[in-house]
Amino acid sequence: MSQTRKELIQIVRDWRTLTLALVLPVILLMLLSAGLTLRVDDLPIVVQDLSASPASRDFVDAFRASLSLHVVAWPVDRPPDEALTSGAARAALIIPADFGRDLARGVDTPVQLLVDASDANTAKLTAGYAAQITRAYNERAAGVRRVALVQTAIRLWYNPGLSSKKFYGPGIFVLGLSMFPPLLAALAMARESEQKTILQVYVSSISAHEFLLGKVAAFTAVALAECMLMLAVLFTYFDLRLAGDPTPFIVATLLYAFCVASFGTMVGATVASQVAAMQLVALGGFLLVFLLSGLLFPIENIPAGLRWISNFVWGRYYIEIVRDALLQGGGWPAVWLKVVIIAVIGAVFYALAWRSMRRMQLRG
Amino acid sequence: MASLWGRLPQLRRLRALVVKEFNQIRRDRRLVISLIAPPLLQLTLFGFALSATVTNLRLGVVDDSRTPVSRELVAALTESRSFRLGGYYATADELGTAISQGKLDAGVVIPYEYARDLWRGRPTTVQFLLNAVNAYTATIAQGYAEAVMQRYNADLLRAGFPGAVDGTAGQPDRGQVRLMPAFLFNPGLVDSWFIATGIFGLLLILNSSLISSAAMVREREAGTIEQLLMSPASTAEIIVAKITPLFLLLCMMMLLAVAVLKLVFGVPFHGSLPFVLFGGVLCILSGISLGTVIATLSRSAQQAQLTAFFVNPPMSSLSGALNPVEAMPDWLQPLTMLNPIHHFATIVRGAMLKGVGLATLWPNVLALLVFTLVLVSLSIWRFRKQLS
Repeated sequence: MSQTRKELIQIVRDWRTLTLALVLPVILLMLLSAGLTLRVDDLPIVVQDLSASPASRDFVDAFRASLSLHVVAWPVDRPPDEALTSGAARAALIIPADFGRDLARGVDTPVQLLVDASDANTAKLTAGYAAQITRAYNERAAGVRRVALVQTAIRLWYNPGLSSKKFYGPGIFVLGLSMFPPLLAALAMARESEQKTILQVYVSSISAHEFLLGKVAAFTAVALAECMLMLAVLFTYFDLRLAGDPTPFIVATLLYAFCVASFGTMVGATVASQVAAMQLVALGGFLLVFLLSGLLFPIENIPAGLRWISNFVWGRYYIEIVRDALLQGGGWPAVWLKVVIIAVIGAVFYALAWRSMRRMQLRG
Repeated sequence: MASLWGRLPQLRRLRALVVKEFNQIRRDRRLVISLIAPPLLQLTLFGFALSATVTNLRLGVVDDSRTPVSRELVAALTESRSFRLGGYYATADELGTAISQGKLDAGVVIPYEYARDLWRGRPTTVQFLLNAVNAYTATIAQGYAEAVMQRYNADLLRAGFPGAVDGTAGQPDRGQVRLMPAFLFNPGLVDSWFIATGIFGLLLILNSSLISSAAMVREREAGTIEQLLMSPASTAEIIVAKITPLFLLLCMMMLLAVAVLKLVFGVPFHGSLPFVLFGGVLCILSGISLGTVIATLSRSAQQAQLTAFFVNPPMSSLSGALNPVEAMPDWLQPLTMLNPIHHFATIVRGAMLKGVGLATLWPNVLALLVFTLVLVSLSIWRFRKQLS
């Protein structure tokens, strides 16, 4: 198709943009996966030991020895909540003056833990770690260790080490694929209408289908090239392998490339301004796929009023296919429906783009 | 700058330029809408959707024991909000297949000797399978499962099962340390307060950088920048004129976002609102200048957008705005000091949730100020260099 060739020539000629589009996702992939870990530890905590007895020092040492918390020095005369307001620590442990005496007498002694709860989740973690340390200290001091009657042996399937690379790798792969190709496609389409070159298309003999298919094919090719590049990184740097039957993954990837290219083209066709088109792609490609696809945060968490939107988010189905292909290996029986849905969504995008094109086209 | 404001003709020229930019933006109604609507939508969506709690994981059960005690265990697991019953399976293999096909998120296998072991006071082991494809959820779910089991164990002891005790060498009559946690600033542990305040800063930087880079490049792409250069206006004037309407629009967005924080999420305002807004203004300015720098470094709108798209995800996810800074590897943590989103998030949370002011937050304000100044001068320098 000459339209595809024209489009590809246009893309390749702007090689700086092309390299950016191909290389940036790869860098993103490596940077984000290196920067995000799943474990939160070394949380800073300050200790005010008003007792200063051997027993209290022993107790503080238990906190010092922990990997999850990290004791920060704090002068005794400064109010401990200042450490929280200034962000110097996540929590403050205050040991009362009677600590040592009470313990020796056999009286329970309260120890206060002030937790900065402005980050609710980390606050829960911090309090949990502190409770664990305290329990262990009590058991050690009493010399009695309770053995839990029911022991839990937790097996983590498909990612036993809970490696963040294996988790974020596929996710960011999908994100990159959902962001950059549609952005290019939308900008290219919007530019045609901004620079009025679209008028030439309208008056030419080329039909809406020919024009759109040419565009979509070109950007599908870009998406696939990007996909190859990122897969190469996933297989080498991330140590991921295809688990099981690769055919659903290959089919889904082809369809997904078509789907995102059509999405971008559709946005570009309906919105004439490059800036607005970019905003829309940011909304669709980034926000929807990032948020409502279960890429990072489970879909079940989204309030029911918003959750139904995720059924229309194309990235949601693809991420499940990619994870299945790279980690789980469920094959066709697990994913066939998702492949079909991606194809349908792609077709809908294409049809919408075609509708808005046809309205403009001159007849005859 | 002082002399520029002092001289009248220049001031008039600047006003004319600002009016021109305003007219340009007013005619582009889509841009105005896209500047205001998506950010607010994002704030609402993000604030609700990003939550670190995991609920309703589908739990499959293989109960080989088939006793009241084992059924109690299943009840204890499924009555928590974290897990719900996804069905019973006959064998562990069937359970495994269901997990691999994505029909279940987790599974529990209760052994045949479960009840007998418990009555005899012998520790017994329950196998717990978690689908860790989503490692994030799995990490949290693992913690839940452990917590539920701990509570269940305590209940067993209370219900009169003989507990297993190990070791006796100690002082059993010694007092116990009781930890009394108090959650300050957010006693209800509302997740969305943290997320929504983080997103707030993210939105300011993201939108101001994207929009300003687009606006800067467009003039160059359309070729009208030459006309501007031929005019007697200086580059500083051109930049100031270009930034003013965007800046005002973004400030409007900021005010709306603050309203959303207050009305939709119910974030308390313990500190001073003007202080938060001042931080927001600095944040917008640094975002705008970041966008301008990106624009001057790229040759086309496409490149500018791509670069902006590329800069934003790592900047937002490595800022501590959405996840704790401690979740980053140690070597990356100092980098957050260079991240305006980090400082702004600290300011917003400090002022809104903790009710502290400049006395405590001055380092963050200073950092934002320095960041803004450096970026603004960098963008003016780059712009000038490019135009000459």
